[in-house]
Amino acid sequence: MECVVQGIIETQHVEALEILLQGLCGVPKEHLRIHELCLKSGPNLGVVPSEVRLLCDLAQPTPSWTVRHVGGAMRGAGAEQISVLVRTVVESKVSKNVLRFFYALGYKLDHELLKIGFSFNFHRGAPITVTVTSANKMPKLHATEEAVPVTPGIQLVEITAPAAADNYNDVVSAVSSFCEYLAPLLHLSKPGVSTGIVPTASAAAAALLSNSGNKTS
Amino acid sequence: MPVKWLLHWQPNPGATLSSQILTEACACVESVGGARAGRWKTTLTFYRPMARDGASAPESSRDFLGVQLHDHPGKYYSILRAHRILLESDSSIQAVMEKLQSYKARVVLNFEGFQYQLGDFQIRVGKCVPSQSENLRGIMMEVEYLPLSSIEKSRQLMEEFVEIWQETVSKKSLPGHFLHIESNFTDYGLHDYYTSQHTAVQYATCMQQLIAAVRN
Repeated sequence: MECVVQGIIETQHVEALEILLQGLCGVPKEHLRIHELCLKSGPNLGVVPSEVRLLCDLAQPTPSWTVRHVGGAMRGAGAEQISVLVRTVVESKVSKNVLRFFYALGYKLDHELLKIGFSFNFHRGAPITVTVTSANKMPKLHATEEAVPVTPGIQLVEITAPAAADNYNDVVSAVSSFCEYLAPLLHLSKPGVSTGIVPTASAAAAALLSNSGNKTS
Repeated sequence: MPVKWLLHWQPNPGATLSSQILTEACACVESVGGARAGRWKTTLTFYRPMARDGASAPESSRDFLGVQLHDHPGKYYSILRAHRILLESDSSIQAVMEKLQSYKARVVLNFEGFQYQLGDFQIRVGKCVPSQSENLRGIMMEVEYLPLSSIEKSRQLMEEFVEIWQETVSKKSLPGHFLHIESNFTDYGLHDYYTSQHTAVQYATCMQQLIAAVRN
């Protein structure tokens, strides 16, 4: 299981967000360059139609592959009341022939993206990962070098934290509290619930950049 | 990693398989100085595609084997024989496949038995039984030569070992013999340096041989 919230930010404010995150987390950022391939089951295959994501980490000297299945969100009155989405996620590191393997099993490529950005991994009440990425599409199949932004000027911010059935309440609290620190720059909510950009972002970003400038000078 | 050969028990035509052969094989290893060093278990799972209600079953060329090796418990090897694809992954891939509900584990076979140390060799003798029953499906063994990782460099030595082993077993006048069938590693893009992927491919080959032996 994982707890997740998402939000969007204008690219012009990403630098300020990075400064804020750096200050809050106290760890260096990690560069992200992930080729994500979304596959769907072919006709008649499976009890229900299924979807699986293959992630190729291109930021490593040797690209590494992960297969990821994102399950349904937790339901019920309790789940409705919390501002964080709790869902099942299963991942496995795999060898580089994984795309060929799933094609042979009867899966088809639905779409692919190249996500470029950075992440912070730290512990704050729970192990938390913040990723800031721009989604890029490829003009030709697998042509990651020619990728162009899907939404120019806008980047996706995602906060995730691993959770289990017996501790997700604590993890939800940890994620919610962390989101409050970022509130002046962006609003974070459950995936699929669009909240747009926040009006205070420009002012907050300017303040962060000027403070940061003072510190470094 | 050290090079390894898998051997399966090939019963004589008309002969039946019994657990007595396993006992005798273990006695043979001990008679040539093998020291028992614990138990081992490798699991092989047959996966078949599932079809939606009313739909015809997808092609069986998509059947695949899942192998969990006793010496690499965190890893899982999925083999699509029809396509010559071997996927190495974490064992959590089993949970991914379960979530996808597109393939179902139909039969689970356990290969289990005793492990022996014999000089530079590690020998494992075991039986193959379905997880849901005690029906004996076959007898097999792993012969691992610890000092070498090159398949070619170890070939002659392994052949000599198998020859001596076959002679030892033949003295027991059992109704069959142990046989090594070469796997075509290059089909799966594997090279001379031995890896756990080679072992997974050998289990797939061994499985085919055991099924064929039972049919005959």
